[in-house]
Amino acid sequence: MGNGDDQPRYEISQAAYIKLVLHAIKHSTSAVNGVLLGRPSSSDASLTEISDAVPLFHSHLGLLPNLEISLILIEEYYGGKGLSVVGYFHANERYNDSELGGVARNIGDHIYRYFPNAPILLLDNKKVEALEKGKDLSPVMQLYTRDASKNWKLSPDGGSRLILKEPSANVVLMDYISSEKWRDIVDFDEHLDDISRDWLNPDLF
Amino acid sequence: MVTKTEGTQLDDLENQVDNGGGGAWEYLCLVRKLKVRRSEKVLKHGLALLNDPKKRSSLGHDEWTLYEQVAVAAMDSQSLDVAKDCVKVLRKQFPESKRVGKLEGLLLEAKGSWAEAEKAYSSFLEENPFDQVVHKRRIAVAKAMGNMSTAIELLSKYLDTFMADHDAWRELAEIYITLQMYKQAAFCYEELLLSQPTNALYHLAYADVLYTIGGLENLQSARKYYSSTISLTGGKNRRALFGLCLCSSAIAQLSKGRNKEDKDGSELQSLAAAALQKDYKERAPEKLPLLTAALKSLKVSS
Repeated sequence: MGNGDDQPRYEISQAAYIKLVLHAIKHSTSAVNGVLLGRPSSSDASLTEISDAVPLFHSHLGLLPNLEISLILIEEYYGGKGLSVVGYFHANERYNDSELGGVARNIGDHIYRYFPNAPILLLDNKKVEALEKGKDLSPVMQLYTRDASKNWKLSPDGGSRLILKEPSANVVLMDYISSEKWRDIVDFDEHLDDISRDWLNPDLF
Repeated sequence: MVTKTEGTQLDDLENQVDNGGGGAWEYLCLVRKLKVRRSEKVLKHGLALLNDPKKRSSLGHDEWTLYEQVAVAAMDSQSLDVAKDCVKVLRKQFPESKRVGKLEGLLLEAKGSWAEAEKAYSSFLEENPFDQVVHKRRIAVAKAMGNMSTAIELLSKYLDTFMADHDAWRELAEIYITLQMYKQAAFCYEELLLSQPTNALYHLAYADVLYTIGGLENLQSARKYYSSTISLTGGKNRRALFGLCLCSSAIAQLSKGRNKEDKDGSELQSLAAAALQKDYKERAPEKLPLLTAALKSLKVSS
């Protein structure tokens, strides 16, 4: 639908979207992060399709070793499916903190090196809180993209560059939140503590 | 920090109470003893006890401890009305109490009235400058407001006086890590290692920080600390095993063409890789091929 806009756009699947938000809710007292998996759209050069996500950590997000191991394993798995790491998700520790911090930027930079156009999605706590009212169908995340001077810039709301693939994703999300589905989600931290817990979350939905 | 046995005991008890099998008071006591944060459950079960006049009176003096515990849990769960009521009851029972005063300070924090909370805590400290709990609440207020430099300043000053407070050193280290001030975080872990040299988690955290700072010397130190973690935990700590593989790989990359034979290093790496593969084979076999490929990419021979 040509609107003449060549700016990169991102379409995120319900599965990826919900996993990330549930992870943040499970560890509501700490910062959490995750990676986005997907591929560029075959029909639209400016669109990236985010089809899955892996929740990573809820402690020591600023330390490298576990991040590096997780990325190696994740890329190994998804590479075999024709998908790659296409972006990064971050949720801040504090409710009132809507800034994109240094750790998030650095990790975003690293992912950007392998996938130019990689976005950073930052959880918008106020929007999560407003989900209960059931009125907003837009994603509860802020979109950051890198500009020509290598800075991460916030994409203005209503710019609709971050699209939910399934329009009713927020309805499904609210359902999962009330049924406390977030208890079942497994991240990489938990996998490292108990490897029988699967960071792929195959039976989550 | 809670041991695995204690953790299992707590979870079992929690399940029992959740499913109507009784034992609420034992559960609440265990939560208090282990100092874990299970606010939703504490609120639910504690409130049930308090709202039952017979059960409440059978607690005797412990009733007031329960009010306190439920008040804090309520604040953590944003059930401020419940918290207010509990604090009111305690205030009525103990009109002069400083302990209740601290709860009132906490309530101000829970409401987000940072300035008032800070005022209350400052006046507490004027009367008693050695009250550790109030010092820490002041730091918590700074952190909650996002004033990280104030939080660091207050926490550092606190540690000048109370240098044996391990939790405070750990908190400071974590704040530094969030701000990517890794050298300062390393210093905190060094203090912890000095006072508790057999705590494997400090060895691990220190190794992680050193690896993050990077550079050949730090990587070699990190490898030493991953090794000590492995030896302290009987080879069971997976993060340390992975860390060792990462270190060896990074060291090998950095020492390329330096003619340095790193025989010890590659032997350690092989051992770690083998241990990881054995572990995955037993407990997560479907992930074993992934692991093997990952280890290969780190140029680990096993």
